Amino acid sequence: MLSKVLSFGLIGIDGYAVQIETDIIGGVPHFDIVGLGDTAVKEAKERVKSAIRNSGFEYPVKHYTVNLAPADIKKEGPLYDLGIAVGILSASEQIKTKKYQNFVFIGELSLDGTIKKVRGVLPILISARSLGFKNVIIPKENEEEARFIDGMNIYALHTLKEVVEFLNDETEHPIEKIQTRTFDEVVRESNNKLDFENVKGQAQAKRALEIAAAGGHNVLMIGPPGSGKSMLAKCFSGILPDLTFEEALEVTKIHSIAGELDLKKGIITERPFRTPHHTATTVSLTGGGNHSKPGEISLAHNGVLYLDEFPEYSRQLIETLRQPLEDGSITVARAMQTITYPANFTLIASMNPCPCGNYGSKDRECKCSPVQIHKYLSKISGPIMDRIDIQVEVDNITYGELNSTQKEECSADIKKRVDKARAVQLERFKNSKTYSNAKMSVPQMKKFCVLSKDCQDLMETAFTNLKLSARAHDRILKVARTIADLEGCEEIQPQHIAEAISYRGLDRKYWSI
Amino acid sequence: MDLRDRFLIFMSMCEIPNKKQEKFLECLENFSMDAVFAHPMTKKILSVDEFLKVEREYDPQVLDASIQNMKNCGIEIVTVFSEKYPKSLIDLPDRPLILYAKGDMSLLDEKCFAIVGTRMPSNYGKIITEKFAKCLAESGLVIVSGLCYGVDSIAHKSTLEVGGKTIAIIGSGFNHIYPATNVSLAREIAEKGLLLSEYPPSFEAKRYTFPRRNRIVAGVSDGVLITEAGMKSGTVHTKEFALLYGKDIFAVPGNITNSKSELTNHLIKTAQAECALSPDDIVEFYDLTKKVQEKKALSLNFDEQMIVKLLENGEQNFDFLAEKTKIPVNILNSCLTTLEIRGLIRKLPAQTYALVSS
Repeated sequence: MLSKVLSFGLIGIDGYAVQIETDIIGGVPHFDIVGLGDTAVKEAKERVKSAIRNSGFEYPVKHYTVNLAPADIKKEGPLYDLGIAVGILSASEQIKTKKYQNFVFIGELSLDGTIKKVRGVLPILISARSLGFKNVIIPKENEEEARFIDGMNIYALHTLKEVVEFLNDETEHPIEKIQTRTFDEVVRESNNKLDFENVKGQAQAKRALEIAAAGGHNVLMIGPPGSGKSMLAKCFSGILPDLTFEEALEVTKIHSIAGELDLKKGIITERPFRTPHHTATTVSLTGGGNHSKPGEISLAHNGVLYLDEFPEYSRQLIETLRQPLEDGSITVARAMQTITYPANFTLIASMNPCPCGNYGSKDRECKCSPVQIHKYLSKISGPIMDRIDIQVEVDNITYGELNSTQKEECSADIKKRVDKARAVQLERFKNSKTYSNAKMSVPQMKKFCVLSKDCQDLMETAFTNLKLSARAHDRILKVARTIADLEGCEEIQPQHIAEAISYRGLDRKYWSI
Repeated sequence: MDLRDRFLIFMSMCEIPNKKQEKFLECLENFSMDAVFAHPMTKKILSVDEFLKVEREYDPQVLDASIQNMKNCGIEIVTVFSEKYPKSLIDLPDRPLILYAKGDMSLLDEKCFAIVGTRMPSNYGKIITEKFAKCLAESGLVIVSGLCYGVDSIAHKSTLEVGGKTIAIIGSGFNHIYPATNVSLAREIAEKGLLLSEYPPSFEAKRYTFPRRNRIVAGVSDGVLITEAGMKSGTVHTKEFALLYGKDIFAVPGNITNSKSELTNHLIKTAQAECALSPDDIVEFYDLTKKVQEKKALSLNFDEQMIVKLLENGEQNFDFLAEKTKIPVNILNSCLTTLEIRGLIRKLPAQTYALVSS
């Protein structure tokens, strides 16, 4: 007998339909899975065999051939287990109705017949819906992440036995499709996030991060060890605007594929904050690889990628950030396939001013030679610097500042200003693909960053007197635009330009001597 | 260019030490190379290796070609026999017998003044070096230094910035500028001032060439100013040579707890150097007319005045200014930048700001 069961596979963050064809013929007992499966797929036969027997069904000793079509795309992971089991059971006529033909099956099987959670349920459901599939059976453990998909009949089931009973209409109690939830119902909880309230001093850095959050600018923080760069960065995600539903779905999709989703919550409500260590490999950052998973920069999509000790990362790895920083996505081309993952993140990088970290410090002496300092700084190439709008210096704070009782502004207050500035930008860029000032294209800059005579004069004197490099020009304009937005100004004023220039510390000449 | 010049050029290209060349000058009468090889003293002066090298490398055509080549590159070769040889050097006991020059040789006849110091100056060192260099250059002194990192670079750059004349004396050949980051600065100096070396263009810097170079720095200058230097700095050599040659030495006092000011403070304490508290001290010492700067009529607003007032007591960091002035951070940022653009204050690494005193 031949049966055909539907399941789904993933390329990048999009799903595609996979047809599981099962043929049972008499002859020498044998089980073969064809269709370019990886080891996890090949091993499915052992799991399926035991799961069927241990669920109280019969596993006829015959010759089985299972084909996963389309046969030329590589299939990965154990999510086809359930589909294969259903295929065998219907081919051996233990599933009596044809109801299964309308369903998509996703799930890994345990030897005792339990359906276990799998990666990538949310993206599969989204793709299935857009491809016109209506009914899906998913593992019970993945129930929460499926709740945000409306317009589909999704059933979250525990065991293989339950699935068969459901398909045979033999269940004791009717099995309901899962209840959908709306995004607004989700409680947004800020899980022990650091608050700017707890950071003493560092007024300039805080202001710089506020601007960065408001305009989506990338930031480089330069300062000696122990000056609080990491702490500032960790506070940063607390002042970013809340995720919208679309953004949250995108983020959740990527995390679901990477298997990093908290299954109890089902959806991610917080902007991600990723901090890969500087020993990270290029593939772990970009994604792809053998099991084509999204990398750190995609997991930071719609959130923050924090690279501490920036020059310690390998040169090649830093350079791979160039395309994603520009396009907001990364295309990983491998021999087998080409995958595009979204990677629209804000980069926060921090570094010491020199190998020993004390260059320019007031109270500690730097022991590095000028060559060492030059080499250290030049690890960050020009093109990368070009993509970082704000460079801010952070200095050690004194004991007095540390103990001062002065109340610092809390993140919630800063966030209100950020939200307002973002709203201005969304209004400005509606009907275009830009969302923030940082991503403005050249024509958009010409249109929205018009400088008055005063501003132009200021720019000109600034360039000659401060010896700013040419690449600083556009960065300054973009940041000035954001500062104006924060203040609610239509036009960029001279003081906005002046402030924007103060965030170009590294372009100054004293860094080069 | 006579035989003696050719002889010296060839010897310098073979990297024969200065002292041995002097010995040749004492005993030789005929400077044609054939005569040199035949002369009995040659084998006493040169070591076996050097002798073989000189003999192996001597080829009149190649020598002519490389001299021509240097000329084409704009390099002027001045030997001790040349009229252009600087008068300040001619009587020195360890004078360089040959000088390679790029730029305006006449600068050496003007009043030259060296500004030297540590390769890694503190913020204080940077600020005062710039201040002294600018002011002295504007008073008409030609600023001499060694094109190294730190004080040297700042002295050259500041001089060029105010349109002054500067001489860079380097411890390597012109094709091997050290440090490499200063190549563009060297090019600018060659255009607007003078680049000088006693080594042929293909000569690479060696450990011992830097102290050697310092004797020329001290030699060509009427006086030497040390702005900031520690006891182990190469500046010690410049000072020693300056003492030996009887030049005026000035030192800027520094913080006694800072190891980078040890040498300058020590020189002042032991009365080896004049204490220079401001560029005026040097200007008056040499009876120069200081270019009177027109006080720019600056209109500062209240906030800006407050910042300037606070910085009068020395450099301060951002958080200090924010706390004392109570100006909101965004306004403070833009005020500081405006002041910086106007040239009133200076931003130093690590959020520190200092007043540019005039």
